[in-house]
Amino acid sequence: MRKFWCGFFIFWPIAAIIYSAVSPQFNWWFPGPSVTELGQRIDNLFYLILIIVTAVFIGTQVALGYCLWRASHNKEERAWFTHGSHNLEVIWSVVPSVILLFLALYQMDVWALYRVQSFFPKEAREAPVAEVTARQFEWRIRYPGLDEHGVPKKLHLKPQPDDLYTVNDLHVPIGRPVMINLRSDDVQHSFFLPHLRIKQDAIPGQIIPIWFKPERPGNFDLACAELCGWGHYKMRAQLIVEREVEFQAYLQKLRADQNYDGHATPSAVAKKDE
Amino acid sequence: MSVRWQSLIVGLACALAGCGGDGSQMRFVENSTLAKPVHRKARAVVKTTLEEHFGAPLNSVAWLELPVKYGRAEGKITAIDDQTLSVEFNAETMDLTGFDAAEFAGTELLLTSGTNQEKAIPLASFDGKTKTFEMSSLAVVPAVGDQFVAGGNVLKHGRKLYARHCQHCHGVSGDGDGPTAKYLNPRPRDYRQGKFKFTSTAGPAGKATRDDLRRILGQGIPGTYMPAFVPMLKDGELTAIIEYVRWLAMRGEVEWQLLGQFKDEYASDRAKKEAKESGGKESEIEKQIDSQLKEFVKSGLSALVQEVAGDLADKWIAAEEEGAAIIPELARVADSPESRKRGKDLFYGKVANCVNCHGLAAKGNGAQTEDVAKNLRTGELYPTPGLFDDWDQPVKPRDLTRGIYRGGRRPIDIYRRITQGIKGTPMPGAPKTIKSDEIWDLVNFVLSIPFESPAPKTASAHSIAGQSGEKGHAN
Ligand SMILES: [Cu+2]
Repeated sequence: MRKFWCGFFIFWPIAAIIYSAVSPQFNWWFPGPSVTELGQRIDNLFYLILIIVTAVFIGTQVALGYCLWRASHNKEERAWFTHGSHNLEVIWSVVPSVILLFLALYQMDVWALYRVQSFFPKEAREAPVAEVTARQFEWRIRYPGLDEHGVPKKLHLKPQPDDLYTVNDLHVPIGRPVMINLRSDDVQHSFFLPHLRIKQDAIPGQIIPIWFKPERPGNFDLACAELCGWGHYKMRAQLIVEREVEFQAYLQKLRADQNYDGHATPSAVAKKDE
Repeated sequence: MSVRWQSLIVGLACALAGCGGDGSQMRFVENSTLAKPVHRKARAVVKTTLEEHFGAPLNSVAWLELPVKYGRAEGKITAIDDQTLSVEFNAETMDLTGFDAAEFAGTELLLTSGTNQEKAIPLASFDGKTKTFEMSSLAVVPAVGDQFVAGGNVLKHGRKLYARHCQHCHGVSGDGDGPTAKYLNPRPRDYRQGKFKFTSTAGPAGKATRDDLRRILGQGIPGTYMPAFVPMLKDGELTAIIEYVRWLAMRGEVEWQLLGQFKDEYASDRAKKEAKESGGKESEIEKQIDSQLKEFVKSGLSALVQEVAGDLADKWIAAEEEGAAIIPELARVADSPESRKRGKDLFYGKVANCVNCHGLAAKGNGAQTEDVAKNLRTGELYPTPGLFDDWDQPVKPRDLTRGIYRGGRRPIDIYRRITQGIKGTPMPGAPKTIKSDEIWDLVNFVLSIPFESPAPKTASAHSIAGQSGEKGHAN
């Protein structure tokens, strides 16, 4: 029975390591490498913390296992009671504090870039690409209208007559920082782009800017990560990252669809609405 | 086994299967204003007729009289190779459009000719490219040249999706009375009258087209609780849901129509009335009614059912025909200040008279919303002032200053709303005297309202509307 407990405590760090090692193969890990560079840096922070806690976890478990093992083989030596060791207490207070302080300082620039508006890339901050409004149970998206050259205008906080509307389908261009304004129409939702490592609550009455710079084209999940009502699961939308020309062509198609009057319009093909 | 054990096992089975519960029973219009005036025995006849032709959700009947694509295909077996059947579909009877080949997995192929006629072959898969079925058992071996019917599980597939995504609000039988319905305003649509508000077809009786339903599922209805279901639901899933919703709508419509047919001859107070008039015994007359009804069930019912179904099938089919969708005579008149001005004059003018309901500031609080309206079906006045729809729910004219357009914001959508009205609501289609270009002026004006709120007119013709508009009830 004594041996059992040694094995028991040694087993868990081994199980944890095996589990972590095989996870990526079964897609139990991140959904692929991040689509944004900032997301990579967030992943790196995650891995750093993971390594530190893994080392601590394994260390404590091994120590625990070793003590039990030694005691189970040693009939002579008796356990002794100690009321504390000043030196030990200093060590296990100071060492974690230093680690925590290090992490707090080390992650600061990532956090600032991710959350603090004055650190956002200037071009993203000045020209938000769309406004995304969460609603029970969908994402309503508003793009600014296009000028005579087909280039998006400035997005205003208030709706404009030529704004373009869509739902559950967010398109953004690749390779440049884009910012969206996040709002909520009713309750609290959360704008979650797992492939970009972005998660931001949408709060009624607030406009929250989010920026990212997608580096890879593709069709990614946009989900709600805040239980917002019985139809929460319905808030499953998509983020489409595409080349600048494709993005502009998409907006132009959106404009043609939205101006459809039953007669030939620039994109009469766009009669079907999906 | 004791009853307690049995119920425990049932409970466990439920927990494991996710339990659809016994909520999946079709409901019948029993307490509505339409059903009450009908004799209870006639109501029972309607109920059994419905059960016969539509079945229950878990055991639905694909009634071929209805224009629903059940995903059913007829054809001939052209070659047999081990477990594989090569087939040739009969072009006219194939309505697989939009369905995935996977639809066939787990279904049966029913032989309709040959030595194994009326026998079924379980299927494992279907390959649309090579037109081959994989049989999952060799218990029945068909011969080359045998005719068959296959597929047809769209209702089953549609019901599953409907139960997962729609039933919560729209109810098992599509009566708009699911568990969450009572918390919603506006109420979820009750399909049973076969009426859908926002369609591309002519008003007021035009049916919704498949594309209309697909558009609503894809875009949702802004300003209501109907969310958009794309991209969560894929094309084939939408198709299955659409067919199921059409089927539910037709089921409801058959019920309403039959009740309407029975209303006069088999009134619930017939025995009482006749007894009073002739001085006879009420129970005698009840017996008479009973035998008359039994006679009718034997001789005339099936013809009536066919007629009702045929009529409504015609309407649903007509909606799908080319030219059923309203296309404006003219292309949109360019949006200019002059056009908006003309539209504005129409909005406030006597002919279109939009202001009557939508109000001086277009906030949806016109004079009409303060009047007590008459229920056109019962002839009685509604208990409270305001407008009501065909489902007897209070409705408000749209507040046009908010820029939320339930039926869509495209010019064509607004054009259709103005010319055809909104089905099932007091919003009428514009009088035919208003020409296409004038409608476009109205569209241009309506779309400009959120961005320049119209100043109230001082003209005396609208002074009454003006007064009530000023009081302006909360919106
Ligand atoms: Cu949500």
